[in-house]
Amino acid sequence: MTVSQVYLKKIAINQLVDASLYDEITDQHLAMWKSTWVPAMEAYCQGRAEAKKPDDSQWDWKWKAEGWRPFLKYHSFSIVCEKELQGLMLASDVKSARVQDQFGKPIVYVELLASAPWNRSKIQKPKRFHGVGTVLMAAAVQLSIDMGFKGRVGLHSLPGAVSFYKDDCGMTPLGNDAAYGNWIYFEMTEKQAAEFRQK
Amino acid sequence: MKLTHSKDWYARRIALEGDADIGAGTMAAIRESAVAQTQAVPIDTRIAFGTFVELWRRDRGWDAVKLAEVAGVNPEEILEIERSPQSEPEPNAVFRLAQVFEIPSKILMELAGLIEPRTPNLRQAAVRFAARSESVAALNPHEREAFEAFVSAIAETAKK
Repeated sequence: MTVSQVYLKKIAINQLVDASLYDEITDQHLAMWKSTWVPAMEAYCQGRAEAKKPDDSQWDWKWKAEGWRPFLKYHSFSIVCEKELQGLMLASDVKSARVQDQFGKPIVYVELLASAPWNRSKIQKPKRFHGVGTVLMAAAVQLSIDMGFKGRVGLHSLPGAVSFYKDDCGMTPLGNDAAYGNWIYFEMTEKQAAEFRQK
Repeated sequence: MKLTHSKDWYARRIALEGDADIGAGTMAAIRESAVAQTQAVPIDTRIAFGTFVELWRRDRGWDAVKLAEVAGVNPEEILEIERSPQSEPEPNAVFRLAQVFEIPSKILMELAGLIEPRTPNLRQAAVRFAARSESVAALNPHEREAFEAFVSAIAETAKK
């Protein structure tokens, strides 16, 4: 397991603070998820109509992370800051690109990505840390480069995150995907990955 | 995998990040993870799952459309669950049905064959329940007894 020095912006002081990116979701991270993330999500969902709950409110990261560990095609990541879990991501390396000029080439596909409930403006105002998406996308791009995929990344965006992938990350939207809950599929090309890393 | 971006890079990139709540992933991914964990199609528990769904709604005088409306799923999904144990149900539909039935979703996911079987007693109870249930128009006392026994078995399993 490798740990990278990364940074998140702490909203309370409006400054970057040290954080750690792990290229693995460990048992300790899953314990943190269960003891803090889950109660916060449950508290937010309490009494809310199904349609008002976050799209990932039912995601069981323990089940996913443990179930996928034996498979070499899966890669997991977690961000820890101030001794608390701030974000999680699971990615795979066996899917192919859909954008025309890189069609069929291997990509890193982000299977699941989420920030902790306290880092979401819709759940907590003000949220605690900003930048979880940036760090996790940086990890996905770096994994793609390490795999020899030149930064190519694909994902299906949760409805509320479309602007992040389109405007902030510069990814290409390829429209609603009927095979994946009709959510919008995004892809990052080699050129877009280079721009993401340079900005 | 090692990230080597500078602190300045993070400052610039995070400044560009809007206030959208970040997230990616689909129910298909969840299903894929379930398939990865499941070595064989659990037809026996899935038959029990379909029978349970059918009897639960019939016990309340509901048709498949009514249950679909309450659960927020397609009526076709309900019919497929009840009649096609070979078909893998959508995890989202199972989650929603679990909420309507007020049953832990993990147990219903196990019955539906979407996660690896972990509770042998549940499977045995499911097989017994499926074997004792008959597909007739009305819920007869025998079916009701089987149905209530199965509900109790689920409740007992949930406590463990």
